[in-house]
Amino acid sequence: MKTNASRAFLSLALVLCVALGAGAQAKPVEIELWITGTASEAGPPPADWAGYRIVRETLGIEMKISLLPTSFTDQDTKIVTAAAANRLPDILHVNRDVFIKLTKQGLLAPVDELMKKMPTRTKTHYDDPLRNKLAMYKGKMYGLPDPGKMPMTDGWVIRKDWLDKLGLPAPNTIEDFYKVAKAFTQNDPDGNGKNDTYGFGAYIETSDITNWGLGVRFDPILGAYGVTGMWDVTSAKSFGLNVRKPEFYDAMTFVARLNKDGLIDPDWTTLKKDEFRARWKQGKYGIMRENFAALSTVANYPAFDKNFPDGEWIPIPPPVGPKGKSSEGMLYVDTRIHVVSKRAIDAGKGDAVAKLLEWFATDGYALAMFGEKGVNFTLDAEGNVSTAGLPDPEKSYAKAANVPVLQLRNLASVNSDWELLPRYVPHKTINGRTIRPLDIWRYFTKQPWTEATAALLIEPPANKADFERYYTENLVKFALGQQELSPASWKAFLAGLDKLGAKELEKSAKAKVEEAGLLK
Amino acid sequence: MLKKGGGGRVEVRGTKADRPKIPGRTFPETLSHAWKFRGIYALGILPLAFFLVIRYLPLWNAQIAFKEFSPLDGVWGSPWNGLANFSAFFRSPYFWPLLRNTLMYSLAKLILGIPAAVLLALALYETGRRALRKVVQTLAYLPHFLSWIILHGILLGLFSASEGLFNEINRAAGVGTVNYMGDPAVFPFIVVLSDLWKEMGWSAIIFLAALMGIDPALFESAQVEGASRLQQVRYITLPGILEVVVVVALLRIGTILDAGFHQLFVLYSVPVYDVGDIIDTWVYRQGILNADYSVATAVGLFKGLIGLGFLVAANRLAKRIAGSGLY
Repeated sequence: MKTNASRAFLSLALVLCVALGAGAQAKPVEIELWITGTASEAGPPPADWAGYRIVRETLGIEMKISLLPTSFTDQDTKIVTAAAANRLPDILHVNRDVFIKLTKQGLLAPVDELMKKMPTRTKTHYDDPLRNKLAMYKGKMYGLPDPGKMPMTDGWVIRKDWLDKLGLPAPNTIEDFYKVAKAFTQNDPDGNGKNDTYGFGAYIETSDITNWGLGVRFDPILGAYGVTGMWDVTSAKSFGLNVRKPEFYDAMTFVARLNKDGLIDPDWTTLKKDEFRARWKQGKYGIMRENFAALSTVANYPAFDKNFPDGEWIPIPPPVGPKGKSSEGMLYVDTRIHVVSKRAIDAGKGDAVAKLLEWFATDGYALAMFGEKGVNFTLDAEGNVSTAGLPDPEKSYAKAANVPVLQLRNLASVNSDWELLPRYVPHKTINGRTIRPLDIWRYFTKQPWTEATAALLIEPPANKADFERYYTENLVKFALGQQELSPASWKAFLAGLDKLGAKELEKSAKAKVEEAGLLK
Repeated sequence: MLKKGGGGRVEVRGTKADRPKIPGRTFPETLSHAWKFRGIYALGILPLAFFLVIRYLPLWNAQIAFKEFSPLDGVWGSPWNGLANFSAFFRSPYFWPLLRNTLMYSLAKLILGIPAAVLLALALYETGRRALRKVVQTLAYLPHFLSWIILHGILLGLFSASEGLFNEINRAAGVGTVNYMGDPAVFPFIVVLSDLWKEMGWSAIIFLAALMGIDPALFESAQVEGASRLQQVRYITLPGILEVVVVVALLRIGTILDAGFHQLFVLYSVPVYDVGDIIDTWVYRQGILNADYSVATAVGLFKGLIGLGFLVAANRLAKRIAGSGLY
């Protein structure tokens, strides 16, 4: 009796142990992700997104997703604030400046060991040694340099219908650009009888120490003078701040002239990105530097098309300067750095993180890129993505309403043609003209660009707020005419920059770039 | 003690000796007293908890102003670095312009904001038309509930160089385009006046409440004595709300180095940094975006100390001039 009771007790204990063990195993590991979504205006994947279920069932992982704000500064603010409390999520997207700061603070985990646990992803995503250098700190990889960002996406475009209306050829040189911009401003190119157009539209778009100053929207103008971007990293001999070159002074003289003659939207110093985009869609601008997707995709073009069915934006080569130079902008071996927090590794989530990231590069790749097969997309005979034969065409990946299920694309994308062709589908305008967004992008890629990958390694100075303000404020004041632009004032500007530590910054930047072996 | 002040002003004052003495209580009596009024004391628990949790407990973290803070080492574990974080701020070439701009906006908002709110409260109080009062009150309160992002859109609609209403008028009148939002000479006026417009109605509430608390018998007596409306305002209304005005002014002086981060952050742009950059926007760029948490905290502490100094001085001044202060 005693033996039976003991056996019964042991059996019960065993059953309880197994049940508890199974229960513990079944409890999914929670992985928190802060990711940049693919569409800023849409929210995160809905609660019924198939990805949540599949990841839970196949990997035992519960994803908790937050989309980061779209503006760089808002993104940085959110991340840096969380970092202050050592509350970073498990996986997050960071820009390079923040990457360096978090690494220095010891908040990020080295990823070399993790990469071994995701062999396919490492092969498909992290095979470029140059790109990998951008995610290194002191010779060790602390970031996962995903290739998601397309290169050479922004370029010089012009209103062809305005050129035709005024009987002007597309501008070639920087002086041609000035003349066309003047005609677009003064000769009523839209024929509405009002003086409401500007030859050139821009705003101050800066994100990091590679483009402080007037920002990337002015790149083709500065490129005509051979001084695109804040830094010259093309050779060891010429390495340094571009403002030290006499050509930068010439470029500033041109911008100041453009501004003084009223050929640029006078609001350019106060406009934000959305306001800038609203204005070209309202037919305010004739020439600008714009992102090919923002300009031409089926999601973005209709607002302009509706206002101007006969309007037509075309890409043209960037203007050629007095010495025959031209540049569409800075060319980076660009990357989107994802990092894993040290906190996640300390909590024993390393394996789960690796499994999840590997899944995005393998079984979950198509799901992240285009949604559920048979629901959001189909495959044609050649294996290309299509929407033909979908039971409910309203659920097509191409419909704006379904964008939330594609918000994690940045964790999967490798920019292959298989991805890009269905993402940037040709479409017809109200007047039946076909627009092929990828043709515009390809046009941009064939223009001259200024190599600037090494500039991504440059770290901002300790007095960043003062240095950035001084640099940007003075250039903008010169451009606006608030500060007289003369050889003497320019010399004083450079002296002030040195007083803030420009020479030391150049020295340390050069050492950093040379150490990475990126300076010829 | 009731006595006649200068200009016929009625003042209620008392010396310490005049006040009735509260008999001393034993501890059990105090507890019993507290229990008797437990409902009243319970009301104070939430505000006390708020101040304890939100205002006092974080003071522990203020020590990172004297440390080289590392999130991994934590507040206590980070190494001390003396006054290095303070000197990083004081050594900034923009320190004096930042301080100047901050004080300029703060004082302008204080000097213009309080009288404007008092005037609005007076106007609302004096108006006999109830319907008009309701409409004006609602319209005056409304802007307070709009965020600065929305107001930025409205201001752009008014002052934009290319599309703004005022520039449309300028162009129609043959005057050239003026970049109001980007002009350092105009920008401070936009900041101060837009803040005045946004907050005047809301600030008037407290003065309106003070006005409602004035004994109507005083006005009736004044009318019997033949006092005009203006005399009633001068000798009854304004003295009646003076203490509240002093308290509001003192509270604002305590945060003299808070010039309105949200407003400036949304409205300022590169061409107006000279007159638009304030201490808080600098802290945002250097302390938050640059992850320099210790410098951000040091500046916060500096602001708090300056505010405390101003508060003590202003309180003494208020007691001397107006006869009452915060404490």
